[in-house]
Amino acid sequence: MAEDGEEKLLATVQHIVKTLGRTDTMTEDILKVFSNYDGRLSLDKLYATRAAAAAAAVAAAGGAGAGEHSVPASPPMPPPPAVPPAVAAMPAVTSLERTVRTLDRQISQFVAMDRLIWADSADADAFLEAVDDLIGTVQELDAAGTNRGLLDRADELLSRCMARLEDEFRALIERPDDVAPPAPGGFASDESEEEDYDADDGYGDEPIPIAKPVSDFDVVIDALPPGSVSDVHQIARRMVDAGFGRECAEAYAAARRGFIDESVARLGIRARTIDEVHSLPWEELEFDIARWIPAFKMVFRILIPSERRLCDRVFDGLAPYGDLAFVAAVRTQALQLISFGDAVSAASRAPERLFRVIDMYEAVRDLLPDLDPVFADPYSAALRAEVSAVCNTLGSSIKGIFMELENLIRRDPARVSVPGGGIHPITRYVMNYLRAACGSRQTLEEVMEGDLGAVGGAAIAVDPDRPTSSLAVHIAWIMDVLHKNLETKSKIYRDPPLASIFLMNNGKYIIHKVNDSELGVLLGDEWMKQMMSRVRRWNLEYQRGAWAKVMSVLQTGGPGIGSLPAKALLQKLRMFNGYLEEICAIQSEWVIADEQLREDVRAAITDSVKPAYMGLVSRLKSSPEAAQDLFIKHSPEDVEARIQHLFEGVSKIEVSGGKMLLGETVWSSQI
Amino acid sequence: MPVTEHQGSSSSPSTFSFGRSLLSLRRDHVAMPSGEEADLEAFQRHFAASLGELLPGEVEGGGGGGGGGGGGGGEEILSVAWIRRLLESFILCQEEFRVFVAQARRRGALPAAGEKLVVEFHERAVKALDVCNAARDGVDQVRRWERLADIAASVLLAPGEIHEGQLRRARKALSDLSVLLVDDTAASGSGGVASFLASHRNRSFGRARASPSRASLAGATSSSHFRSLSWSVSRAWSASRQLQAIGAGLAAPRAHEAGLAAPVYAMGCVLHLVAWALVAAVPCPDRSTALQAHHLPAAPARAAFPWAPPLLTLQERLAEEGKRKDRRNSCGLLKEIHVLEKSTQKLTDAIDAAPIPLFGDREADVREAAAELAAVCAAMRDGLEPLERQVREVFHRIVRSRVEGLDSSMHNAD
Repeated sequence: MAEDGEEKLLATVQHIVKTLGRTDTMTEDILKVFSNYDGRLSLDKLYATRAAAAAAAVAAAGGAGAGEHSVPASPPMPPPPAVPPAVAAMPAVTSLERTVRTLDRQISQFVAMDRLIWADSADADAFLEAVDDLIGTVQELDAAGTNRGLLDRADELLSRCMARLEDEFRALIERPDDVAPPAPGGFASDESEEEDYDADDGYGDEPIPIAKPVSDFDVVIDALPPGSVSDVHQIARRMVDAGFGRECAEAYAAARRGFIDESVARLGIRARTIDEVHSLPWEELEFDIARWIPAFKMVFRILIPSERRLCDRVFDGLAPYGDLAFVAAVRTQALQLISFGDAVSAASRAPERLFRVIDMYEAVRDLLPDLDPVFADPYSAALRAEVSAVCNTLGSSIKGIFMELENLIRRDPARVSVPGGGIHPITRYVMNYLRAACGSRQTLEEVMEGDLGAVGGAAIAVDPDRPTSSLAVHIAWIMDVLHKNLETKSKIYRDPPLASIFLMNNGKYIIHKVNDSELGVLLGDEWMKQMMSRVRRWNLEYQRGAWAKVMSVLQTGGPGIGSLPAKALLQKLRMFNGYLEEICAIQSEWVIADEQLREDVRAAITDSVKPAYMGLVSRLKSSPEAAQDLFIKHSPEDVEARIQHLFEGVSKIEVSGGKMLLGETVWSSQI
Repeated sequence: MPVTEHQGSSSSPSTFSFGRSLLSLRRDHVAMPSGEEADLEAFQRHFAASLGELLPGEVEGGGGGGGGGGGGGGEEILSVAWIRRLLESFILCQEEFRVFVAQARRRGALPAAGEKLVVEFHERAVKALDVCNAARDGVDQVRRWERLADIAASVLLAPGEIHEGQLRRARKALSDLSVLLVDDTAASGSGGVASFLASHRNRSFGRARASPSRASLAGATSSSHFRSLSWSVSRAWSASRQLQAIGAGLAAPRAHEAGLAAPVYAMGCVLHLVAWALVAAVPCPDRSTALQAHHLPAAPARAAFPWAPPLLTLQERLAEEGKRKDRRNSCGLLKEIHVLEKSTQKLTDAIDAAPIPLFGDREADVREAAAELAAVCAAMRDGLEPLERQVREVFHRIVRSRVEGLDSSMHNAD
């Protein structure tokens, strides 16, 4: 499931690249990509809202007269010398006063405009120049400190400029497409920015605001076209210069938040409360997790770094404000995603959850080092810490789930026996579980050692492949618990040899599974030797328990001792026949699952029974008292054939019995 | 699993001062005659002392700890400092509870019924996790208010005369703030101060937004501009329902119920109290319903437990705060929020009343209101971040203690 998500994610990334290369309305395309990622969210709403916004913008632009805003775009550095008559009439007018008055006139025109100033780049340039002049004038007045009245006037004008700039700033960020495409010469002024985009020139001369994917997630999306970024940066610089940096940061965060919220919403992950996660059926939660992992990567590897980059560009050289703005914009969505990790960690620790939680943990752990450059500043340190914390929490949850397995094995009651002494579902479950867990042994070892997160997780390479590693010790412990549980379960067989068969079967299965996987490395040779000797011991116990009376019946005494009378020998033969019937009737229903073991056990029986039987028969035949018409029911080959039919199991019992067992415990779950 | 383990590995700089007191408490345990009776008595005594220390100044004394009383008891109820101490006490109580359970287990005095009670408590505690998350969002939201309020205040407190430019800038910040306050109050479901501000804004801030451009520009932007914070808890989440769930089935144990029944009940009560206080203090979804109903659980009889009197007094005080006329429609009962709202309103009024240019009494009024606002902003800047971290700490403690509880009960079964 996780792999599937991975593929989808990669495909999505490819798609982002492709889509962005084709069209020019980037915000919309990015949102589309995020929503394509999840089929459930329709685009209709998006288009509806965009259409409404566009209509409003058109209406606004239409309302504004076309020509009346022809403010001179020529360098107004020295204020226009043409002094209006009114000014000339006043007596001692300082040049600063004149400057302020001129700027007031210019700026008032702009501030009164009822369409975006940035809709026309010439207007924008002129306005910015006026603002620059004003800022310079205010500073000059402030430094001189002689004309308080004029300073207040200039300050008042500045505050109007800033309010207007903030509106323009927000509009440019929220609706970059409403602003006219970069005017001629717009790019020329962007020379410095452009080098970032020129790297891949596969799309003609149009700048493609995207880096070529170097690896999976090395993709940056730019929600704003480069021209807008530059415009927005120009405004931010003026606002910070004028001492309105805090307002600027707040406005930026407020303007970006909508896009970020929407992008995350389009990834199709539902916000879940911890309570919900707690009570959700596993299947549903598993589905949520499968969505969450790629969404988490998407957000932390693409969306947030892209936001960081955008923010860094907008607030380039305007140090703390960019960091403030970035955190304020990104915080809620980041925390919401993290919170799901917390919720899953706090939820049930049923063993089947292990693998999905490992997936989550690995997703978080793997991106931790990459977050450092994104969350490097002190303002986002808390966010970085939250990601580390959720990594830790998921880690201890994994540890807990893994330990819970042990708990479940120990508590598994020995109520119903497996018919025929076959392999118990718990053995299958545990062994397959451990084998699967071995696939994640690096991660498991990491969380068992408990040194995760502190150093970013990846720094310490732990080697789980040694029988002394925490994971190996723990697995050995689980095997021990399983062994004890199986021994308890074997006691419910009334027939002791059947108990031995049961233990043998399960032991052999365990050996097989261990040899067949990395479990062997973890458990080590010693463990394996011990396990094999156990199986041999159970085999002997079985032989002794099941065949002892047969063998004693076949005993005809040592050759030194006087021979038994034929009558006694006949009696022995009769008893043997009886026992054989009995054993075959019972034990043909028993099961030895492993073919080799079955052959071995049969061979061992044959090896001890057949010669003894042949001995008895030949004794009988050679006995002087033996009747001429001595009837021997079984030839030694018959006996061997009967033995060969042992342990075949009877299918009907196995099926119904299996069902009965599987239905009631967790062990039936598939891994 | 030692508690310190997580603190060591966690990179968050949240270390708490109670480490030492915890150690000394543990030493107490060792020194005491062992046995369930003694443990239970010690647990209840410490529990009562923790709660007692939270009581407002006039009831000072509580557990009788003379020397340490200097720092404690000074905070006003529902102030940031008080909430922080409340959370600290909760963490301390939880730690005591953990030790108590561990000791009962070690003695083998924890039968299946006892384990079941512990599990029940953990289930209850897990329900408080969502409250922690909502409170964290709420605290963050308050920090946002503070940022805007502080812009207004610091502009007006700048040296020199106050002139139109500064007033305009302050008005703008206050107007943005009022939008937030309105939205958040609406989200938490009440009117009050914020609705006053909302109506006020249209009238008085109209001047600030007088330029014709704003109307048309604002049409597209302002509606979505300083919109309310998007909660990281899901939208349908209700603080009121959550509180009810936390308090559900919380009933005083009968006299014959020995063992864990009393400590589990005590923990349930304090958990509920803490959750209620958090919801009451900061903005969160459906907060006002929670306050109106103020679902505090069935209270224990005053004489039933040593900790019942301080708990009841606390509950009563909190309920009183919630009912106070001037606080009923607030965005949060947090003292600092109340001050912020009040001084925002005062400053808004002062600015409205001020003729341009400002002089004399008018200017003094504006400056005074701005100074008040600046003071509360400073207090928020100092207090809210540690508070937020502490809310997270409570969150992680609850998760960890639940996990730990499972581990121990498992090993105990061996």
